[in-house]
Amino acid sequence: MTSRFTRRMATRLGLAAGLALAGAAYAQAQTTLRIFTGGQQRPDVMRQIVDGYMKANPNVKVEVEVGGATSEQQQQYLNTVLASKDSALDLILIDVIRPAQWAAAQWAEPLDAYLGAEKDAIMARYLPAYRAANIVNGKVIALPYFADAQFLYYRKDLLEKHGLQPPKTWDELKAAAQKVMAAEGNANLRGFETAGAPIEGTVCTYLVPLWGSGEDLLKEGKLNLAAAAAKKPFELWADLKAANVTPPNLAEIPTDRIRQNMQAGNLIFGMTWGYVWNRLQNDADSTVKGKIGVVPLPGFTADKQATCIGGWQVAVSAFSKNKAEAAKLARYLSSPDVAKQQAILASHLPVFPGVYTDAEVLKANPWFEQALPVVQSARSRPVTPRYTEVSEIMRTNMNAFLAGTKTADQALGDMTNRLGAIFR
Amino acid sequence: MSDAIRHRLTPLERAERRLGFAMLAPAFLLLAAVVLYPIAELIRNSFHFNHLAQPWMGTPFVGFENYVKALGDDRFHEAVLHTVLYILVTVPGAVVIGLGLALLANQPFRVKWPVRLGLLLPWALPLVFAGLIFRWFFEYNQGIANAMLRGLGLEPLNWLTSPGLAFFAICLAIIWKSSSFVALVLLAGLQTIPKSFYEAAEVDGATKWQQFREITLPMLRPAIFVALIFRTITAIQTFDIPYAMTNGGPGNSTETLAMYIHKTTVDFLDLGYGSALAVLMFLVSAVITSVYLRHTRRDPGRH
Repeated sequence: MTSRFTRRMATRLGLAAGLALAGAAYAQAQTTLRIFTGGQQRPDVMRQIVDGYMKANPNVKVEVEVGGATSEQQQQYLNTVLASKDSALDLILIDVIRPAQWAAAQWAEPLDAYLGAEKDAIMARYLPAYRAANIVNGKVIALPYFADAQFLYYRKDLLEKHGLQPPKTWDELKAAAQKVMAAEGNANLRGFETAGAPIEGTVCTYLVPLWGSGEDLLKEGKLNLAAAAAKKPFELWADLKAANVTPPNLAEIPTDRIRQNMQAGNLIFGMTWGYVWNRLQNDADSTVKGKIGVVPLPGFTADKQATCIGGWQVAVSAFSKNKAEAAKLARYLSSPDVAKQQAILASHLPVFPGVYTDAEVLKANPWFEQALPVVQSARSRPVTPRYTEVSEIMRTNMNAFLAGTKTADQALGDMTNRLGAIFR
Repeated sequence: MSDAIRHRLTPLERAERRLGFAMLAPAFLLLAAVVLYPIAELIRNSFHFNHLAQPWMGTPFVGFENYVKALGDDRFHEAVLHTVLYILVTVPGAVVIGLGLALLANQPFRVKWPVRLGLLLPWALPLVFAGLIFRWFFEYNQGIANAMLRGLGLEPLNWLTSPGLAFFAICLAIIWKSSSFVALVLLAGLQTIPKSFYEAAEVDGATKWQQFREITLPMLRPAIFVALIFRTITAIQTFDIPYAMTNGGPGNSTETLAMYIHKTTVDFLDLGYGSALAVLMFLVSAVITSVYLRHTRRDPGRH
């Protein structure tokens, strides 16, 4: 009796345990992580990377959600998702300008606890600018995925044909563009383009020449636009426009249009980001394969070159239901192996100094040799929780100036007034 | 008075009435949840400071501070001005074009569906698609508008990056998009006008123009009013088409009130100020609608 009872009990227990185990295994297999990335951050490459991760971690399924072609379109979408505390996204790729805002809004899960005792060692591996950008008030808000900076892309073939060197100053660039345009006589060929539409990239269109003249937007936390340097960017772009080096529709050009125009063979110089290289070299419809060179941006003088820092970070959503698994994936995405993979597949600049000198990376991107010092000296756009407002003020005024609806004085005046209300 | 009525109700009638309310309740609750509650929340928010990028400031009650700020905000004034200009151009524009389309569709065609389909298509298209299509039309390098100008040997124009031309291009897109809705409303109105009126006019020797002025227009007045009300209310909320075509640019020169509200709340996360702006837009909308309604209420006796 007893034995039968115990036997039955044992079978039942065994069955229950088996079910529980199966259930646990099932639950484990079901861990689904959803990562959000922008359309311009090469979601195809991210899919390849997470495929590798899923093979090594069969208990995790990673879905890649793609949205928004520009940084501010992505943020618009994310604002609505995160302001409503939606748990649909576990990991999110964010622009380098965002961590301060995300920390303030408490949208990113601080990763310190997940990094544990290794935290300092892990963070020490990154380029200093990315370490600094992702640690807000002592907390790790996100982990760097890839680095970026603006470079000068130029048509190597056309410059060589007309006996020109890549320009080191804006004046040299103007002269070179005019010479090539005049000699080529191609009505579709433009001299120089930078972002001019009312989008995030246009903030750098103002800041790069401002930094180049030795000033910055903020000085000890206070707005610093009173000096003559604050007008320099307007004067530079007005000068290039008057010389017909920039196209008449500069005010409607977003970041990726520069790449498209260059790819179609219609542009001599472009001020744009690292991802462009790979597209120009590898896209099926590129007419400029092997005809492109990349150098640091020009300055007002050859010794004072400036550039905007860019790049994307992986944050774990504070509303995710799988934070531990998400943090593990974030660490994987922010590893030297993945950085190398991205460099080869997408010409994404690595966040680890060591990867720049990797032989395979250099084979795919010979210009990375000169890129490291540029990334190391690249500067940050103002760090503030209200960055979206700051950015909107700068880009709409720059856009209005480039469209010719505001004079330099009006644009600078409006910028000063509205930024002044934020940086009081 | 109402007490007297209630006393006269039989128990059956009272039960019927209770059943009536019970059957209305789900619809009412749903409406309360998706309309009344958000409006109440919006009004409450508009009296508070609530900026998601500055959560450490809390959400203190600030009285009318957000409204006072709006009255002194140049960008708000400009957005209101742009919205009014869009209303003044696109509402009459859509009604005139829509009337033409309705008269055309009302002709005794043997095959009616191609005309009706042509009328329905722009209406069925999502607004933002219409905006994107027109943006391509007016794009500087690849756009049709500049291709035509180049074909005529003229200089291409900066359609979307000069304020006047951008306003024109946006108005054109809005009129194209909304005139088909107006045409549908007016077409329904046209079909209620008895044929015999025209036959009688014909017998009396009235010209087509006289028939239009003396029969069609007066008989169509109620339909035109309905079209005007609907069109004006949607014009106050103009958002999608300028958002897709210029995103308010160049600078803020084509930004509407709805776009400014969207920017303030969704981009800047300033829910307090954004709510105050939205309440102001709601008030403007309510005032315009009530003016129209008063006008139509005076009207029906005339015909």
